[in-house]
Amino acid sequence: MAAGARRSFALSIFVALAVVVGLAVTAVHAADTPRRGGILLAVIGADPPSLDPHQESTFATLQLVAPLYSTMLQTDPYDYPKVIGDAASEWKISPDALTYTFKIRQGIKFHDGSPLTAADVKATYDKLLFPPAGTRSVRKNSYSAVTSVEAPDAGTVVFKLKFPSASLLLNLASPWNVIYPKKYLDKDPNYFMKHVMGSGPFKFKSYTPGASFEGERNPDYFVKDRPYLNGYKFFISTETSVRAAAIRSGRAYIEFRDLPNAEVEAIKKQLGDKVAVQHTPMTGQWGIAINNMAKPFTDERVRKALTLGLDRYTMGRVLFPLASLKDVGALLRPGTEFSLPEADLQKLPGFGKDIEKNRAEAKRLLAEAGYPNGFKVVLKNRNVKLPYQDFAVFAVQEWRKIGIEAEQRPLETAAWFADGRDTGNFELIVAPTVEASDDPDTFLRRYTTGDPQNWGRFSDPGVDDLFSRQSRALDPAERRKAILQLQKTVLEHAYYMPGLWWTRNVVHWTKVKNYVAPPNHYANQKLQDVWLSED
Amino acid sequence: MGTYVAKRLLLIVPTLIGAAALVFVIMRVIPGDVALLIFGGEAGGQIDAKQLADMRQRLGLDQPLLVQFGTWLWGILRFDFGNSLWTGRPVIEELLIRLPLSLELAIAATIVSVLIAIPLGMLAAIRQDTWVDYLVRVVSIGGLAIPSFWVGILCILMLVIFFGWGPPLEFTPPWIDPWANFQMMIWPVVTVGYRYAAVTTRMTRSTLLEVLREDYIRTAWAKGLRERAVVVRHALKNSMLPVITLVGTEFAFLIGGLVVTETVFTLNGVGRFVVDAVAHRDYPVVQALIFLIAFGFVVVNLLVDLTYAWFDPRIRYR
Repeated sequence: MAAGARRSFALSIFVALAVVVGLAVTAVHAADTPRRGGILLAVIGADPPSLDPHQESTFATLQLVAPLYSTMLQTDPYDYPKVIGDAASEWKISPDALTYTFKIRQGIKFHDGSPLTAADVKATYDKLLFPPAGTRSVRKNSYSAVTSVEAPDAGTVVFKLKFPSASLLLNLASPWNVIYPKKYLDKDPNYFMKHVMGSGPFKFKSYTPGASFEGERNPDYFVKDRPYLNGYKFFISTETSVRAAAIRSGRAYIEFRDLPNAEVEAIKKQLGDKVAVQHTPMTGQWGIAINNMAKPFTDERVRKALTLGLDRYTMGRVLFPLASLKDVGALLRPGTEFSLPEADLQKLPGFGKDIEKNRAEAKRLLAEAGYPNGFKVVLKNRNVKLPYQDFAVFAVQEWRKIGIEAEQRPLETAAWFADGRDTGNFELIVAPTVEASDDPDTFLRRYTTGDPQNWGRFSDPGVDDLFSRQSRALDPAERRKAILQLQKTVLEHAYYMPGLWWTRNVVHWTKVKNYVAPPNHYANQKLQDVWLSED
Repeated sequence: MGTYVAKRLLLIVPTLIGAAALVFVIMRVIPGDVALLIFGGEAGGQIDAKQLADMRQRLGLDQPLLVQFGTWLWGILRFDFGNSLWTGRPVIEELLIRLPLSLELAIAATIVSVLIAIPLGMLAAIRQDTWVDYLVRVVSIGGLAIPSFWVGILCILMLVIFFGWGPPLEFTPPWIDPWANFQMMIWPVVTVGYRYAAVTTRMTRSTLLEVLREDYIRTAWAKGLRERAVVVRHALKNSMLPVITLVGTEFAFLIGGLVVTETVFTLNGVGRFVVDAVAHRDYPVVQALIFLIAFGFVVVNLLVDLTYAWFDPRIRYR
């Protein structure tokens, strides 16, 4: 081969390689560059009772409508639980922590074209904090420190407090507090139960009750170049295996709440690397309320024996694959800022790792309380399999080992609420705690005297005082001290029996990009940054 | 005949009032409070007694029971079934979303089952105690023994596992997209139709066997008539009365009774709606649906009775 020909050949090889490398780099880059377009198809396990998140407490409402609305603040989609602005661009807190001033971004428009102003934010929070007659606000107790909300000008909102509230900022970032236009609220405060008018990244398209819910891209969204998707569509199916099959067949790309491990394994086996699973801990705990007003549970020794009889560590190993219940913890999620340290936890009744020692102590306490041969008791439960019934079955067989014969009695949801929360018609009842954040106010209020969520109906002035102190403490160290002491008090007296903390599996096709599952199924549902790498 | 029909139509009124009163009482006797449930949900909700009382007042649950029942009956006379306590939407609006699907499923499953059951039942009867009869009996007993929802789940899983394909998740009416409608409805129709056909096949077989033993059939055979003429012209028509009754009542049941099948196939039908409404203590919805389902049963029964006369000319209504 002549030298010129060799040079030409070498050059052509070099050019070809350069093209290949260039294409590869472009492909990699393309894979990481958000792509505009496509409809995100999702499955959801329930139909919403109404479309108004202010008045509802089920994920079925929030997941469907969250992409249609803005909130004043939000938790960072990529850094839970950091609070960042949404409609508010900045805020400042007065030195006495009794005045919060928020600046509202200019240029945000509702989907009817009208501007979002401070007046709309004020009207929204007035509805939430001081619900007009004929409406409900299920989370208004979280804002008991707030005395008024003011809108001195179109771009400023001021919250006035009667006492400092350490949880206020996190509660104002609640995904439930979507901003409504004032003019619609003025006409009918219940307007949003059946209608939607928001300023979020997507606009309402259609809703067929019991079947589907659809949103389409809002071209006037205030965040530049967002959202990436042309729209989203939820299919409603209450049957878990059907939702899993929908993911397997590609009829849906994601299930935002949770699928059991068995279904997840089957999906992974069939679809391989076409799917990804985000496994996250949850801001939810499954435990048992003890009726502190009913004998023999008025006796602390009996309550302690019950909690000592549960081998939570084995329970976590057994129930995790079946029911996603996994972590042993106290009253706040293990591993979070205010959770009880492991060493402290293990000193509390029922949390030590030597189960035989725990059982011996339980038997001793029962004998001392006058029940040397144990007793019979009814454990009421919700007739929902996952995770309620699996959890109860485990507890029942654990108590048998200390001589307590518990009969599990599953109740239809309405009767479960009525007996547990309304009338206190139970001895023991499965009573979980699931919230939208790890906020201590939200999680711990239920242990105070007279709280509607205090199903065990106990009253301890020490707990009430600790709750009040932690709620008002602005120094994190002081707050933490009160919170830890509160948890220890509740567990030492065995007023309530925590079981295990929930985890969840968010399964999605890998073509769904940029969705980070937070530790609950309420936050990060605006979908503004989510995109599809292919249709 | 006219008098008979008028009498039967008039009897519908006390029947429906009785059904309505029964459902009204049962819904209020069972534990659970819709106001509490509305505040419920996973996040629990933090409510006070005043909010609860306001909600009960707003829903009209603070009124005496007789007033509530009277108001509801007065509404029915004006074809106003009230609003759902749960969603706030008119009950009729909610029902109209779901009724086309339930009707399509009921009609298609009935057609499929009749098309399968009558020939199979006939075949089993005229070939009694042969392998054909045994096969038909095994298939039909299988249909009775295996729950429809299980067959449904199996159907979906097999499609997904072997073909990577699943039926659509949303109902499309046949007049909008017949192909999408077919893809979704074929599986529940086959699943429900199979169970329904199993019952009807057994009924057809046993009644036909009974008729085939009648004297006039023996006479027909003795006259040298062909098998087709004996079975189809003389025996089949006379054996159809119990089969028609069965088909009629099953059809009425299918409109509101396919709860699990609807759940498995993500069909937003009347059956699921009733059960959800009971769970939510949504009184107006449950009362309206039970009332309308009872009305459907009464009308279907009347139609079944009237068709008797066509099948058996000896029957004359007075």
